[in-house]
Amino acid sequence: MTTQVKTGQIDTELNRGFNFMTARGESEFPYYVGIHSLADLATKEDRVCVLNILGGESRTVTPTSHEFSGGNIVCGTMPGRSGSVMQTKIGDIPVYNNVLEALEAGHNFNVAVVYVPPSGVKDSVIEAVRVNPSLKKIIILTEKVKVKHARMIRQYCQWRGVDVFGANCLGIGDAHNKIRLGGALGGTAPEESLIPGSVAIYSNSGNFTTTMATYLLTAGWGTTVSISSGKDLYIHYSAPEFTHAMHNDDRTKAMVMYIEPGGYYEKDLEFEKPVVACIVGRWKAKLTRACGHAGAVAGSGDNAEAKEGWFLEKFGVKAIFTPDSPTCSAKGAVVTNISHVPAAMTAVMMMNGMKPDFDPIGDLTPKCWFRNDQGLELPEAMQTPVVEAIAPYNEQIEELSKLVGTIFPRQNMKDCSGASRMDAKSQVTQIHGVSVLDASTRSLEENLVQSLVREYPDANGAAMANVALNAFVNQSGTIGLAAADAAREAGSSPNACLASAIALLGPKEAESSKEVVNSLIDLFGRAKLADAADIHFDYSAQVEQALASEVIAEPAQEGDSADADKSVEADEESEEKLKIRGILVSEKSGKRGKMMLAALEARGVKSVFIDFLKAVAERTGGGLRDVQVLGAITCHLAWRAFMRRRLSVNTLLNMPWHFRIFSTLVGVAVPADSQDKKSFRGEDNGIITNDWSFTETAFAALLGRRPSEEERFAFSVLQGLLITNGPGTISAQGAKGAVSADGPEVPERIQINKGYLGFLSHTGFAHGGNGFEAIAFLMERFKDVDLTNPGDKNHGLDLKAMATAYAKEYKVYKVQAKAAGNLGYAKIPCINHPVFKDKPVNFDPREVFVDELFKGRGEYNIFQDFYHNMVQSLKETKVSKNVYCVNVDAVIAVILLKMLWQPYKSGEISGDSLEKAAFTTFLFGRMIGSAAEIDDHTNRGRNMDTRTKASACSFAG
Amino acid sequence: MQITGMKWGAKLLKYVDFPTAEILPAEATPEQIQAMIDKHGGLMVKPVFKGGIGKKGKAGLLGIARDLRTALKEKERLYFAEHRHGNTFAKSDGVTFEAFVEAEHEIYVSITDNTLFRAPTLTITHHGGMDIEELSKDQIAVVPFDTLTGLKGFIVNNALQKMGAPNEIISPLVQNITKLWDLFNGYGMTTLELNPIRMRRNDKGRLEPIACDFKCAFDTDDRNRFRLNLPSDLDSQDLSDYELEVNQLRTYQGQSDVTIVNPAGTITAMTFGGGANALVTELLGDSATISSDFGGNPPYQKMFEISRITYKHWLSQTNVLFFIGGKANNTDIYETFRAMADALREYFSENGPTPLYVLVGRGGPNVIRGMGYVKDTLDSLGIPYAMFGYDSAMSEVINFAQATDTWMASGGRKAIADKMGIK
Repeated sequence: MTTQVKTGQIDTELNRGFNFMTARGESEFPYYVGIHSLADLATKEDRVCVLNILGGESRTVTPTSHEFSGGNIVCGTMPGRSGSVMQTKIGDIPVYNNVLEALEAGHNFNVAVVYVPPSGVKDSVIEAVRVNPSLKKIIILTEKVKVKHARMIRQYCQWRGVDVFGANCLGIGDAHNKIRLGGALGGTAPEESLIPGSVAIYSNSGNFTTTMATYLLTAGWGTTVSISSGKDLYIHYSAPEFTHAMHNDDRTKAMVMYIEPGGYYEKDLEFEKPVVACIVGRWKAKLTRACGHAGAVAGSGDNAEAKEGWFLEKFGVKAIFTPDSPTCSAKGAVVTNISHVPAAMTAVMMMNGMKPDFDPIGDLTPKCWFRNDQGLELPEAMQTPVVEAIAPYNEQIEELSKLVGTIFPRQNMKDCSGASRMDAKSQVTQIHGVSVLDASTRSLEENLVQSLVREYPDANGAAMANVALNAFVNQSGTIGLAAADAAREAGSSPNACLASAIALLGPKEAESSKEVVNSLIDLFGRAKLADAADIHFDYSAQVEQALASEVIAEPAQEGDSADADKSVEADEESEEKLKIRGILVSEKSGKRGKMMLAALEARGVKSVFIDFLKAVAERTGGGLRDVQVLGAITCHLAWRAFMRRRLSVNTLLNMPWHFRIFSTLVGVAVPADSQDKKSFRGEDNGIITNDWSFTETAFAALLGRRPSEEERFAFSVLQGLLITNGPGTISAQGAKGAVSADGPEVPERIQINKGYLGFLSHTGFAHGGNGFEAIAFLMERFKDVDLTNPGDKNHGLDLKAMATAYAKEYKVYKVQAKAAGNLGYAKIPCINHPVFKDKPVNFDPREVFVDELFKGRGEYNIFQDFYHNMVQSLKETKVSKNVYCVNVDAVIAVILLKMLWQPYKSGEISGDSLEKAAFTTFLFGRMIGSAAEIDDHTNRGRNMDTRTKASACSFAG
Repeated sequence: MQITGMKWGAKLLKYVDFPTAEILPAEATPEQIQAMIDKHGGLMVKPVFKGGIGKKGKAGLLGIARDLRTALKEKERLYFAEHRHGNTFAKSDGVTFEAFVEAEHEIYVSITDNTLFRAPTLTITHHGGMDIEELSKDQIAVVPFDTLTGLKGFIVNNALQKMGAPNEIISPLVQNITKLWDLFNGYGMTTLELNPIRMRRNDKGRLEPIACDFKCAFDTDDRNRFRLNLPSDLDSQDLSDYELEVNQLRTYQGQSDVTIVNPAGTITAMTFGGGANALVTELLGDSATISSDFGGNPPYQKMFEISRITYKHWLSQTNVLFFIGGKANNTDIYETFRAMADALREYFSENGPTPLYVLVGRGGPNVIRGMGYVKDTLDSLGIPYAMFGYDSAMSEVINFAQATDTWMASGGRKAIADKMGIK
């Protein structure tokens, strides 16, 4: 045994006692090392307990390790999860609350793998070592363990005779034994990298451990043991220990070391077998702080340059090995680029008379798997050919090319959203990456489409959306409208009234459109149609396919009575006529279907899908009904994003259902006495479908008339601002909870309409209805003044005086209330904000945005002006210490009141109606955000993921 | 995070009652300075640098004053002094006035984690006042000690005895140096160095160790340092806005280490893994904007934020956006690539298109799905790209990045801009 661990000053008398551990290991070391040979590092006999086995990282890694190693994990621990199991392909792994419980259950293990979060690592290690005297190896995967804890782990395990690996490592892989201990060496396919051979790998980098193993294969070198040492300040099982074990392993003929700057672990190594050392990080000498591996900032004597020097001296060579200058000795070679490791290994081994383990597997030439020059003329060097990937990736690429749409990974979506997020700093929420401020400059229909499709429709798409949404808005004669009216009669709030109608819009109502969408995906997805508006697309093959396939031959369900055309035309079309011949066409056209096609024609819409349906109808002598046209329109709207894999198939299938709900929500806001079979709010159905935007329809639903351009814009802004406040807002929580309860892991089970019920039931007088507070406040301020047009800048009123008078009045009230001990005195609505409050003059950026938006259009709003005056007056009269901001809720109130002022003053609408209109406006806006959350949670959520753990709940009784 | 100098060092040493030289801040009145000179016979004026930087004395950045006029003049000279040592540049922000400590003995002492012993280790010598590297081995004691019991008096005592230190300094040092363990261990330090400690005779004629300079480094993963209530910007002067923003995302799952390589660079490499980080940074040299390591399986949200911040700072000047790593073990390529692609889409939607070539080299779990997602995104944005399998030599892929960068600089950027319709 010639491995010498040169300990330098450690031999001085001063250190007497320091290294006299209770446990005794390899005699060559002055401290405890239990591993004699690399063959002992990861053996078939090792039995493993994984700590924090059900944690996020372990959940993905542990099953692969277990399966690769033939089932060497006997148990795992996770506090509070005793009785659970981790499922693997070769059987379940039982989970216990703690190590003691696992031992008491009769499990024996000599290896602990630690996935515990950093603050708990030290305690977990001490617990495992203390209660299990058989424990001999601990592998710590966790990164960012405190140095202080690393010291204690070192000391305690030295004392008890336990080898520690890591921390911040990826564990050990033995290719001969086919054992992977600890982390994820080789990822999900360890058999690709860990191929038996004669080279041992010691690496400071986890990723490069297997990358080097893969590279070595290209020169015909397999591996014995690969270890990712970690690169924390304390590397518990480090280069001297590995080198010692390497010498004692007969299988290992040579070693590759991947070494980064920092630490003196390698300085005094002496090798008995050939070694290729890859030393990296010269550039790090320029740095003054760590980047990459912790502790990898070199001091003066342990930087990359110094380390290169150590190894060059050990190998007796003068230069770094490169393919151009292959400098090496029989002892070894130093490289600074891992790509040179295979060549260096072969060169060194040749000098030792040893040949590679097997024929090269693959090579390291650049292999381009995907390339698109986007039509540019690139220089030859950049026109690298696209080659077929090695198995199994070639098959995956092939599969990918067939796949349409995307599949989102499922995760716990409690308080989490893939649709909305709030920037805590600006308090502005984004919906699919678009801030609600920008969304407020878009129309209602554009935002509704974007909520599901993640991008805005072009003019053609917006026109189609208007046809689809307006065609179904008339609810006359439906049971839903009857339910909503009954709820109104019973005194229910607007959200409850709308909900009663939505509850009736169950899955059967959207079934036919869903089937249409499914068929279109099937026919056109495979054909790689990129743009559904590309009317030059030759769909003749799809027509033939449709005529020949079961898609069209399959008769519709008898119970298709839920189809929407029936609601309008039931008395006009007999049951006989309603029998549908196929999914894509019907025996005869429906009335609404015709109306929609006419509207699409009138609006000059271009759509492959509409043209295709017409062609199929013509060929079969059938007609098109509303459900088919609706399916084609929603499919068109989603198609571009879908083909770019931004949307899932589920989203497309559910879109017609969402659209029906949008139309219904607006439609049932209008009582039965204001709509009949032919008209809505006094306007002909056909004209609305032909000519109106859905924004205009929604406005009319609330205010009884088509808006002016100025009103339409203001109404859109209002809706945009109300879209969302992020996943934490109560309405979003309601929507998400409703989806979660249905179990999104089987997405077909999700009742989309119930998602909207969740949203609607989670709004109320305090959430959504409170916008009226500010309106009431403003009505009180303006009740006695002569104001006819709130948009007229020359209103003749002295707003400053009004504001000051009120501020004084409020001051008196506030003082009196406080003197009376009433700290819950009435606050002025819609001023001040918990975030925008500390400057001398404060602004809510959202309010500023809208203010400037309207000013830019030359529009004036006296109520907003009054609010600005009032916050100044409150400061001047010393009610407030600084100038409060006017917050975004005020914007909503002032826009709405401006629109409603004249009808209110003229007595057309009552204060009560005003309140309901304000609440319903909120519901229309929030419908957009809720649609996004419902769809997002359906795509990404897990079953019942919104529940709160019992331990996080409390009892207040 | 590192601290040098007595401005904060004196405050930290006070926590454990270790005696220090008398210190006055920069805003001390002339009367206070005069009083210090009167009491101690003179003072030193030292510039206050953030973070750690050495060899200030040799650079002439210490002022010595025995009268008020000189003291004030030195203050003026050193208040905004600039200092370069090796690759480190620092600019002073203020000075301290530190009273003379007359002494016969100068001591060097440090506690660090020593990788040879893999234990906390005391380094001590009574041959202080010179560079530690210049001392012979028998003039310096390096003693590892038991972390579970801490730095004990006998360790200091034995070390000084063995080196033949004068008897009169041993007892006061044994009493005081052991206190440093509480500071080192209790507040998450990895290095604590006092150099020099000057042995001053007190009123009773006994020697007392006075710390005259201070240096420490903290473990960034140990939150115990926050108990010291040090200002948060103590070490942040040399961090750029970019680095500060990314550092705020530092959580335990996933690395988020970045540093700026060249503010005028043109290849922005989103690098995964410490190994790839070392190789890529080494080979790209000054063409890189940043050096980064985002490995360790960062969750989508974190990767999205990192990408958003990185693009915000670097994309407009970038020719080649480079997603590069080896064959990942536990990083989900689909999740990380989806986050980077989504952030890129968001950047384009907020800022409009920028001429760019995207180069990818990666392997690991879900790599094809990940590449597929990036491919779809780039196709929709009209960005040219090439993606290489993990069985390509990483250095060859880096060479491709450099060749692309060269082409971009010589007309390629304009060609892409024209294609994208950027004016």
